Amino acid sequence: MAKIFVDGTEYEVDEEKNLIDALSEKGVEIPHFCYHSKLSVVGMCRICLIEVEGVPKFQAACNTPVKEGMKINAFGEKIVKAREGVMEFLLINHPLDCPVCDKAGECRLQNYSFSLGHETTRYKEEKRNIPQEKIGTNLLINHNRCILCYRCVRFDREIVGVNDLEMLARGNDTIIAYTPPETSTEKSTYLNHNYQGALADVCPVGALLNENTLFQSRVWWYESKESICHGCSTLCKVTTNVKNNALYRYMPPQKPQQDGYFICDFGRFSGKDFSQDRLHTYALNGTKATSKEALPALAEKIAAAKKILVLGGATESCDDVDAIESEIKTWRAAGKDVVWDFRTDKDAFAAAKDWDFLLSRDVRPNAKYLRDKNAAQLTDYAAIEKEIRAADLIIVVGELAAPFAYQTGEIHANVKGLRIAEKVEDTALFDSLNSATAWNKVALFTTHDNTAAELAAIAIPMLVFPEKSGRFIDKAGNAKTTTPVLTHVQGLESPAQILARLKSAALPAGAAV
Amino acid sequence: MATIQVHKKYAFKWYEKFYFMSISAGLWVTLKHFFKSALLRRMVTVSYPEKKKPLSSRFRGLHRLKRNEKGQERCTACYCCQWVCPADAIQIIAAEVPADKQYLHPEDKFAKSFQVDLLRCIYCGLCEEACPKGAIYLDGGMPMPADSRDGLILDKAKMMETTGGAIIGERN
Repeated sequence: MAKIFVDGTEYEVDEEKNLIDALSEKGVEIPHFCYHSKLSVVGMCRICLIEVEGVPKFQAACNTPVKEGMKINAFGEKIVKAREGVMEFLLINHPLDCPVCDKAGECRLQNYSFSLGHETTRYKEEKRNIPQEKIGTNLLINHNRCILCYRCVRFDREIVGVNDLEMLARGNDTIIAYTPPETSTEKSTYLNHNYQGALADVCPVGALLNENTLFQSRVWWYESKESICHGCSTLCKVTTNVKNNALYRYMPPQKPQQDGYFICDFGRFSGKDFSQDRLHTYALNGTKATSKEALPALAEKIAAAKKILVLGGATESCDDVDAIESEIKTWRAAGKDVVWDFRTDKDAFAAAKDWDFLLSRDVRPNAKYLRDKNAAQLTDYAAIEKEIRAADLIIVVGELAAPFAYQTGEIHANVKGLRIAEKVEDTALFDSLNSATAWNKVALFTTHDNTAAELAAIAIPMLVFPEKSGRFIDKAGNAKTTTPVLTHVQGLESPAQILARLKSAALPAGAAV
Repeated sequence: MATIQVHKKYAFKWYEKFYFMSISAGLWVTLKHFFKSALLRRMVTVSYPEKKKPLSSRFRGLHRLKRNEKGQERCTACYCCQWVCPADAIQIIAAEVPADKQYLHPEDKFAKSFQVDLLRCIYCGLCEEACPKGAIYLDGGMPMPADSRDGLILDKAKMMETTGGAIIGERN
């Protein structure tokens, strides 16, 4: 720890850390654009100027090491004047089109322009005008808004590990451009990695925008709550953005120092599916039914079955998984042959290591818990196909429903090797069930009203991830709890509640579960 | 219970009991307007809707969406009016301007759909005040009658019939 003086006040700060980080821990926020705790220091924006006693010129706080006893002028008259000047330079080519900008409300430049800038400009010359272009599959760049902080380039190189973005030209003509390396074997017209949402996030201005959520809402209309991401078993902590009972996107957590700064596109943009095309009623062979008809029908099927195949369950919370497990134990005790596997995809069997530094190989939230419960009993996907043909009853929990089995076409998560089906008909499990003509054996615990729910012998509606609160185990074995962020349709239940009702369901004479 | 009469009843004089004075004074007003309108052609009423009286320049009526000098739409779907509207009458859906329609819009964002529900609108004029682009003004005159609820929802086509003032901030 080192003692430093900021505007005469003494602070005890961590000398290992950067001056901006060290002071922000103590509640002193030095304005910055280009500095990011997880990226290298470049000192390009000059808004973090400070005056250090004994040094003749202003210093960039991001590039100044903490020294014992140093005296800093961080918010004095001279510094405020200097920052005003820097702000004026940064805004020379900036169009200040906040009313049309998608970033307005979460924009550093907007905030600092209010707090540090001038309300008038002395710049009378014509501003540069370069048309907006699409540089990523889900990424737009508006060169006019860019303040050339170099954050996106550094993020791509240092965090994602690709060398795709580059600063071109000099002086007034400098732009950020997508420049795929010439040596790369696959030529792509667009940037296509899994962190385009994070790129738009690290951008301190509205230069990088996600096409996916473009103009769909103003930022300040979102209701934000702390929760965890449903995308994979990493279970990143996130902030949810909810408007009109629809989950628009996930954003990085409120306390990034402890919960992580970045989240991937795969989780970030798949939340919208939760409020579309939901299944709200029980269904028997595609026709609507009540639970009083459907649950006894299921109980009868279970009683009659000798060989039961249970697929899925990794999308549900620990309580639900426990309920499923205890059901399976009773069936096994009754002499039935029960096979349980939560993987329903070829990739899930094949993948040995994580997709990238955040996205886990298990793209179901509770996969780790199910592995521990011995719910991975099959060796490969061919075994599932064999079991489908052999089983008398196939119970599918949570699979064949968006967004866990597939994502809609507009969601671009570009993970090399990971195939994401666009519709339920494209999923491997749907294909296998179709080719085995096994639909009359399927009891589907699902959330979405799609072809699978229509074809299944029994379709049972249930709650989705953001509608319930539950405990989940991440890939490292830590328990995390979700917060309900969406209001669900009355009457929908979680699998544990449905299974409890199934036990008490009135059974036809002669049947025994 | 006994009541005490406080108010003293006015006692008419004998000539007042004939009411001549009051009747002739009342008839004089009637006759004055009769002569004014029938003989001197100074009518007080107009036969609306064929004839209309001029409205005050500050009169708040139907909403109009304005274009700029180049004929481009001024509205950029910033949602300021929808946000400020106390009656929740405005519903906007924003979209990105397609490349072939770029000449019609000064910015990259435009209102794909802009609806004003006249049944909700209270004609307070806050949208006019909130608009940073001078795109919406309530200078469309008196609300028109409609025979259905849908007829009272203004859409973009209905609101953009006029081009609007030459300078931003000017009403028709």
